[in-house]
Amino acid sequence: MKYSPVTRAGGVLAKGIRLPVAFGALALAAYGVFFADPYDLRILTVCGVFALLVIGFQFIFGHAGAVSLAQATFFGLGAYVTGVLGATYDFGFLLTFPLSCLIPALLALIIAVPVLKLEEHYFALATLGIGLVVVLVAVQWQEITGGTNGLPGVPSVRFFDLEIRDRRELFIFVWLLVVLGAFVAYQVTRGLYGRVFYLVRESHAAASCLGIDVSALRFGAFILSAIYGGAAGALMAHVIRVVSPENLELPVMVTCLTMTVIGGRRRIAGAIVGAILITYLRESFRILENTTLMAYGAVTLVVLIAAPYGLIGAIERLRARFLPEPIEAPPPMQPLNLAVDTEHRDHRPLLDIDNVSKSFGGVRALEGVSLKLGRGEVVGLIGPNGSGKTTLVNIISGLYEPDRGQLSFNDTAITRRPPHVISRLGVARTFQHINLADELTALDNIALGRTTRERASLWRSILTLGLDPRLQRARCTAVGAAELLGIADLAMSPCGALPYGTRRRVEVARALATEPELLLLDEPAAGLNEEEQRDLAQRVRRIADHGVTVLVIEHNLVFLRSLAERLICLDHGQVIASGHPEEVQRNSAVIEAYLGREEAADEILAIEERAS
Amino acid sequence: MTFIQLVLSGLALGAAYALVALGFVFIVNATGAVNFAQGDFVMAGGYTAIFLTSTFSIPMVLLLPLVAVITFVMGVFLALIAYFPLMRRPPATVFISTLLCGMILQNLFLIGFGPQAKSGPALLGTGMLRFEGLEISRQSLATIVVAAALIGLQYLIFARTQIGRRLRATAEDRDMAEAVGIPAKKLIAVTFGIGASLAGIAGALLANQYFVSPTGGIPLSVFAYIAVVIGGWGSLAGAVLGSMLISIFQVIVSAYVSYAVATGALYAAVLLIFLVRPQGIFSERVQRRA
Repeated sequence: MKYSPVTRAGGVLAKGIRLPVAFGALALAAYGVFFADPYDLRILTVCGVFALLVIGFQFIFGHAGAVSLAQATFFGLGAYVTGVLGATYDFGFLLTFPLSCLIPALLALIIAVPVLKLEEHYFALATLGIGLVVVLVAVQWQEITGGTNGLPGVPSVRFFDLEIRDRRELFIFVWLLVVLGAFVAYQVTRGLYGRVFYLVRESHAAASCLGIDVSALRFGAFILSAIYGGAAGALMAHVIRVVSPENLELPVMVTCLTMTVIGGRRRIAGAIVGAILITYLRESFRILENTTLMAYGAVTLVVLIAAPYGLIGAIERLRARFLPEPIEAPPPMQPLNLAVDTEHRDHRPLLDIDNVSKSFGGVRALEGVSLKLGRGEVVGLIGPNGSGKTTLVNIISGLYEPDRGQLSFNDTAITRRPPHVISRLGVARTFQHINLADELTALDNIALGRTTRERASLWRSILTLGLDPRLQRARCTAVGAAELLGIADLAMSPCGALPYGTRRRVEVARALATEPELLLLDEPAAGLNEEEQRDLAQRVRRIADHGVTVLVIEHNLVFLRSLAERLICLDHGQVIASGHPEEVQRNSAVIEAYLGREEAADEILAIEERAS
Repeated sequence: MTFIQLVLSGLALGAAYALVALGFVFIVNATGAVNFAQGDFVMAGGYTAIFLTSTFSIPMVLLLPLVAVITFVMGVFLALIAYFPLMRRPPATVFISTLLCGMILQNLFLIGFGPQAKSGPALLGTGMLRFEGLEISRQSLATIVVAAALIGLQYLIFARTQIGRRLRATAEDRDMAEAVGIPAKKLIAVTFGIGASLAGIAGALLANQYFVSPTGGIPLSVFAYIAVVIGGWGSLAGAVLGSMLISIFQVIVSAYVSYAVATGALYAAVLLIFLVRPQGIFSERVQRRA
């Protein structure tokens, strides 16, 4: 089917809340360019500066999901670079502006190494600490920064022979930069790579086991935040013509956070709406100076509780509820390429685990476990709760580092390699607790498995114009994976709305979409009814027939019997039996491990008593 | 002043910080959330003490219990508006909501008491006590004694009483605690109350020597946070130890160099700790269950 450009443009605009957003943007531009008085122009220019700051903050806070308290630091730093170079050394905009973006990015680069690895609360504290150090430096280093008084006399924006003096020109200039910033942010978030953020927020482990380098993603988001923060700071210096430590301090950070929370933490329109609302709120409360921040606080708290996705998010949800969009048809199917090169199938094992041990504090989870998986084998890993099954799978997939022992996959040593590297070698897994991005469709969740194969990255998404071909291809392949699991007809529904059994299969399909050689399934049948279990076993069997090696953790022996060619039983972190399923099930050590020596004896007694 | 003298005044400050940090850890343990208004409750305690002594002539013996009760109520109120509506959301949300409540408190102080720093009443009178060539102010002594008594009391409550066991069970797993009939929500509200009143008492103790100002609580929130990070996330003993380390470090570096350098060096030290031991100084490395 072919549509005329007008129909296509109409279709694009009809999505979500794009139409009102476009109207709002046009109205704002028209008001600023033709009608606003100088006072309004100044405020609207400040709104633009904050919009840029907030769009930047959304990368790390909204998309990567980390509470950074360093955004004001980047902002203030950018302002100081422009202030010092402009006021003291009289440099032009073409030099001061890039440097104002670059120096905060450099600071972010330096602190990213120790800080980005930290968990939530530590990350917030560390970024706060860095901010406070920078404030101290700015106040103390008086000969450069002017101390608490700051530096007056920041020049206007000058490049080539142009000088922006007029308020209307400055308004247009700042908002053109906002449009540029918004465009780059849109590029980052709209394609396949943009969808990766949804999963990273949900679970770092799940993302990295799909081959996604979570550190690189957070690093990219942090650097982008710093660049936007620095740019906004530089513009602020040009607008208010003074730089002072106030730009670096907590109130700016709180303002930025407030704008982000109120507008919406992941939407560009949210950043702009938040910036405009709060800037005007601040202006109108100016007379009641002390209560300004209090009003901020109260309003933000109410929005935080009542509209978790901000005003823009709330409007989007209203539209989805009262004017739902038709569910799109799935894209054409592209079959997965699971055919493992059978010619090279020899007697060397695919996975070789040699004498692996792991303890947590005093608890020995694994003790000298050695086992081999042959190519194309389907192996069941059984054992009582706490016997070390999941620990073993976590070590294979790289989430845990073993204390001792070696692992190799396809003759490549994978001991102590990070999970995304192991995944890229051809190991995929599912989790005991389902880790899916509920906001995305099932199809897009599965498509995330294609991130590595499609070589999606931050740079490539910024540089891709038009439809993201990676996302298109990933979705087609995802349909292929969904069909293998029998969920293609549900693929276009949002994942959060799907029943439990289907969600489990979405996870398996996502793992499969990486086209792995080894598939690790952690209790895939848990919580499924018998019908679903039988169906899943058949489908996994068919996947194995393509040549994929499968290791299944499961308690359910009925499920395993129809599937596994071999069973391995763990108890207290050691392999106590391995072999043909029937044999292992009759093995006295296995029975004892499951029932306990005394319980087993009691059980037998009880049966005998009942019989007599 | 001699080095030992400095350590002694560091200990008094540390004793007060320890109360703040303990309150902070209680809330972390009960909810997994960071209460960023903790430092503002210190100021609330200071202002309450100033208000009570300047408006009514209450006896000093009653001052601390009154401050404790008033800040307790404030803490419960914080739980009601900033924690319970958001408890099913990611922990970062509560961080933001408490930050916002702290900001509202700061502005209430500003409106009620003005922007100037104020000094609070002395508990055991003013003046210095001399002992073997060392000097300690009466207020510092009072701070150490009260803090030690409260830290001992909380230990007894947590380790020996039924309510302590219930609090610990709630901290371990809220849903499970509710399932076995523990009123988890009430206990969480009480925890917020206790956390706030410990900070409030610390504020009343510090108000005499360290002044009270509307935004004076922000660095205290950060110090409590740092103390808990140094001491190991969630560890009560670690929080006390971390507070002592921070305050002694601050007092000594401030005396020999300057307060700005002391603060800067403290943050730098924390970043270094993160680099070397992301799990804190005293804690075992815990891996998340995947």
